[in-house]
Order: sequence, then C-alpha cells, then structure tokens
Amino acid sequence: MTRAFLGALGVALAALALYPFFGTGYGVRATLQIFMWIALAGSWNLISGLTGYVSFGHVAFFGAGAYAGAILVAKVGWSWPAASLVGGVAACVLALVIGYPCLRLKGPYFAIAMLGLNEVLRALVSYFEGLTGGGSGLSLPTLDATIPIYYVMGVLAAAVTLLTYLIITSRFGLRLMTIREDEVAAEALGIDTARHKLYAFLLSAAGPGIAGALTARDQGYIEPISVFPLAMTITMIVMVLFGGKGTVWGPVLGAVVLFVSQEFVWARFPYLHQLLFGAIIVAVVLLMPRGVLGILQMKYRLPRTI
Amino acid sequence: MRLRGLVALVWAAAVFGASLPVDAQAPGPIRIGASLSLTGTYAKLGNYQHEGYKLCAKQVNDKGGLLGRKVEFVVYDDQSTPATGVRLYEKLITEDKVDAVVGPYSSPITEAVANVTEKYKKVMVTPLAATTSIFKRPPDKKRHYIFMVISPAEVYLEGLIDMAAKRGLKTVAIVNEDTLFSKAAASGAADLAKKKGMQVVFQEGYPKGNQDFSALLTKIRAANPDVLAASTYFDDAVAITRQMKELNLNPKMYGITVGGDLPEFYDLLKQNAEYIYGATQWEATLPYPGNKEFAEAYTKEFGREPVYHSAAGYAGCVIYLDAVKRAGTLDADRVREVLLRLETKTAFGDFNVDQDGFQVAHKMVMTQWQGGKKVIVWPDDLAQAKPRFPMPAWNQR
Repeated sequence: MTRAFLGALGVALAALALYPFFGTGYGVRATLQIFMWIALAGSWNLISGLTGYVSFGHVAFFGAGAYAGAILVAKVGWSWPAASLVGGVAACVLALVIGYPCLRLKGPYFAIAMLGLNEVLRALVSYFEGLTGGGSGLSLPTLDATIPIYYVMGVLAAAVTLLTYLIITSRFGLRLMTIREDEVAAEALGIDTARHKLYAFLLSAAGPGIAGALTARDQGYIEPISVFPLAMTITMIVMVLFGGKGTVWGPVLGAVVLFVSQEFVWARFPYLHQLLFGAIIVAVVLLMPRGVLGILQMKYRLPRTI
Repeated sequence: MRLRGLVALVWAAAVFGASLPVDAQAPGPIRIGASLSLTGTYAKLGNYQHEGYKLCAKQVNDKGGLLGRKVEFVVYDDQSTPATGVRLYEKLITEDKVDAVVGPYSSPITEAVANVTEKYKKVMVTPLAATTSIFKRPPDKKRHYIFMVISPAEVYLEGLIDMAAKRGLKTVAIVNEDTLFSKAAASGAADLAKKKGMQVVFQEGYPKGNQDFSALLTKIRAANPDVLAASTYFDDAVAITRQMKELNLNPKMYGITVGGDLPEFYDLLKQNAEYIYGATQWEATLPYPGNKEFAEAYTKEFGREPVYHSAAGYAGCVIYLDAVKRAGTLDADRVREVLLRLETKTAFGDFNVDQDGFQVAHKMVMTQWQGGKKVIVWPDDLAQAKPRFPMPAWNQR
C-alpha cells in the first residue's frame, strides 16, 4: 500500500517534470502557481498547523523575499537563482527579528504582531523609494525564465512537503504538537517552548521568501500592494484548513483544489467568486475544522503522517 | 493505503486535466483577447473600458467585419491585480490562441502584462495606460509592440496648474495614490507648478485602497494651499472630497485626475461636487469626428453615458482594427509598421505615436461641475464656459 502510494507519487512527479515539454505557456505558468501555493500553504502549516500559533501575516515573508530578490536582480545585477536564495535568507532574518520577542508571548499577540508586520513592511517599501521604486513598483530586466523557475518552484514545493513529513515524524515535530495541544504541559515536560516555536517559525519563513523572489523574477514587475496583500495570507490559511492542518498532504490538497477551482470555475463568475471563497471559509470552519484529511484520518484511522 | 494513492492520483489528474490544451484555433471570427479589471479596485473604470471594446466590435461586425471575418472579444477578469493579468494574457495567447490582444485597464497591470505580450511578439494597443515609463525605457529594455492611446500621466493636471497660475495663485498641495500612474501624474503636476513659478507646499502619497484621509487633509489644511491637486482613481476621489467637507478644507481650486469626470462622481456627491475640476482625456461634447455618433450609440447600447475610459477603449480597438485593415493582415510586424506611421483622428481625438509607441498627438481637457453639468473649461480653444472661481465655502454650494 505504501508502495502503491510511492508509485503514484513517482508517476505524478515524473509527469510534472516532463510537463513543460508539451504544456502550453499558460499551463506551465498555472502549474507554477500551484507549486507556489503548495510552498506557501505548506510553510504556513509548519508554524501554524503544528504549533497552533496562527500567523496572520505570512505573506510578509513572501513580500520580503520578493523585494530582496528583485532588488538584487535589478540593482545589483545578480542572477535570479542566487537572488532567490537570498530572498529566503532575508525572510528568515525577518522571522528571527519578529519571532524572537513575539513567540515568547502566549495568546493572540503573535497573530496580531504578524498582521502588523505585513502592513509595516508594505509601508517601508513604499517609503524607501530609491531602493524599491516605492509605489511605482520595481521593473526587472526582461528575461524569459518561466521554465527554469517552474522547476525551481516545483523543487521548493516538494522540499517544503518533504520537510513537513520529516518534522512530523521526528521528536521535534512531536514537541511542536505538544505545544499546540497544551503549552503549559509541554513546558512541564521540559520542552524549551520558545526555542522550538522559533525554529519552526524560521523554517516556515524560508519557503515563502524563496517563492517571493522567484515570483518577482517570473513576473518581472512588483509593486507593494501586489506582493503584500492580506488576501494572500488568508488564501494560505484557507488552503491549509481545507486540506487539513498539521498534516503532510493537507496543504498540498488544499492548494491544488482551491487554486484549480479558482482558476477554472470561479474565473467564469467574476462577481461571485469572492462570495464563493467566503462561503468556503465559513463552510470549512463550521463543518470540517480539521479539513478533508483530518476527517479521513478520523474516519479511516489513517496514520498522522499522511 | 489505497486512499493515499487515490489522493495522489486525484492530484495528478487535477493538474493535468486543468492544463490540457483547449481546441486548436478554428477558422472563423478574429478573436481579440483582453483581461480587464471587472472586479476589485479598478472595477468601475475597467467596466467602462469593456463596454468601449464591446461597442467597437459590434459596430465593425455590423459593417461586415474585418478582412471578411467577424470580430469577437475574449475577456477575462484580472481582479485589478497585475499577477492575475499576467497569467490571463499568457492564457489568452497560448491556450485560447487569440488572433490579437488589446490592453488591460491601468498602468501597473499594463506594465506587468507587457512583458508577456512582448515575449510572444503580439501587438498590444494599450488604451488605458498613461504612464510614460511603460513606453520610454532604457535602450536595452525597449518594448517594440505596445502602443499608447491616451495622453501621458504627467500632463493630467496641466490644465489645473495653468488656470491657477493665470489667476495668480501661488501655492499648491498635491496628494496621490501611491501607485505607478498616480505618482507620475503628481510629479508631473509638481514640475509644471514649479515651472509656472508656483510653490508646492505639500506633497504626499497614500496607499491604494485607503479610506481615511483625515490625517492627510489636516496636514494640508495647516499648509493652507491655494490649490489642491489630487491624483486619484475613483473611490479615493469621492472619499477625499467628503472628508474635505467634514474638515472644512476649502482651497480656491480643487482638481482631480481620474474620477472627477465620471457621472457617478456627481451622483454620489451631489452639490458637493460643484466647482470641482476634473482632468479628462475626452468629453462627449468635443468636436472630434464621429464623436457625437459614438456617444449616442454608446448610451443606446449600455443605458448610460460614456466616460473617457469608454471612449479610450473604443478608440484603442478602432485604431488597432484600422491598422489591421490598412496592413491587410494580422501579422504583428506589419501591423506594427502601420501603427508607427499612423496619424489619425477618432472619436477620441488625435492619434500619433513616436518610435517607442508613445502618444504625442492626443490632447487633455479640464472640466468643472457647474450646476450639475460637466463643462469644459480648459484649454481656451475648446472651452465651453469660464471656470467658476474661486470655490465658495462648502455650505454655500
């Protein structure tokens, strides 16, 4: 059974790897977007799904990575793969700065701090015009690199998913989930909760940072509102909740299902799609707070490593 | 576990099913693709542009089509975001395999999607991109296939500044939405004001989607300018005007870039819109060839009066189709050659671009709300009435 699963996974990965050779430009770009959402939702799941600390501003890391990468490409002349790595590092540094104080607090403070962080960053990039172009945005030199970026983003999505699996099956993951279930008990067991939360947070920032830099390179033009939208954080959260928070495949499932339905069903009803999206949020929270995989786990006694 | 395999299969199927190529291009109508801001921040203006495109296609088809084929639009909603626009143009070109594309609404979205249309060497007439930097680029980043229709952002407020300078006003405050187009319009206004010997006593931006302008307006009241120039889209223009009344900020002249000329602006603000100047690229009453007929046909078709975004969309489509007709082909390079040399006058006014596709012929006008009517007050040779000056106190309008 595990073998059947690995087989199916292998086929899917191989097909995705070959896809750019026969897909259309749009198909490649849409699949690239799915990879991006898998990486984003998976990263959000690492901190919020595992430790229960809800990050309401995870897109801040995406935006920080996008600007770090875009500035290095446009102003310093770096190649985009190197700039993307620095985008990830920049997001981690930011996570360290904000996470070190905020993750020591319990309760809703972390969520609010993250929400604020996103707004602060947007204001900052608008303010430092010389470097970021301010509200006029930043144009990158024209470069057709959609296919290489497709592969890099695909590897990133796979890496985030693999990382989630490794964490969930490790003692580190168990400690994180203990924090989620009962933080006081976790401390009583001798877990250094602040440090563990910070580690999880740093890991969850890297993915969005790299994804942001890759997206900036692919699109060739970024502006503050397009890389720091609150709606993006909400989408990540809904994807994870839909698929199943704290699971390995939940974010993947949520990202694929929601992105595909958004792109191919809702796009035909421009005035309805926001309503539909809102309805899905309400339905998920009320009817299946543990998501699709959470329900399947309970019903069929699936292992928690799914 | 059978289920795990199933999940993976569903995933694979979803990705693939979703991206299978749609049917290849069938002979028949000429299909023109565009993504427009039908929802989101720019929805009001994007819908006007959409109607302009629709009317243009209808009129061409009524006259027997183009090159013996009907003209048909394929339009998607980009939700006013550049990222979605990029994806949609890629879809239009590679999946829907449209024969041609025309521009989206707004400068930021045009800036982003131009990278896609250039990649596929598609001619794109962009009727509603007014930012100079989209067209005027450094030699190594030149774009070859995009064409501007409207006057550049930098001259939007020329009329306001010119009228103010003639009346001996000395100080001007400028606010703008902090995005590509609005910023360019604001800095253009600041440069013009300085050139005319006026002093810019306040200049600040606010983020897109901002609702509360009280802090900004309080600062302006402290600076006490003769003229307030606001570089806006629509919603922010209404909010600023309302909050100016609440704070009793009352400069001698107050002009807006985008939004002040829309009928909705007056509907929402009623007498508070009186005396306000609006910059516009076009008015139904301007003596351009076919303009009156366009406005009548538009009102009949959509049950509301056209605004400049409608006319620009209409003209962009007309100009592109005209170029195709002259070239006798849809071939991008040949249509491009025609467009670069084309000098024409549509219902929207003059069209002529330089080697960068940058508009050099089209003229802006300035309107003012007078007794519930929008009247052209600048430039002098097109003016229908004298501007009512200065603005009286808010409670006397």
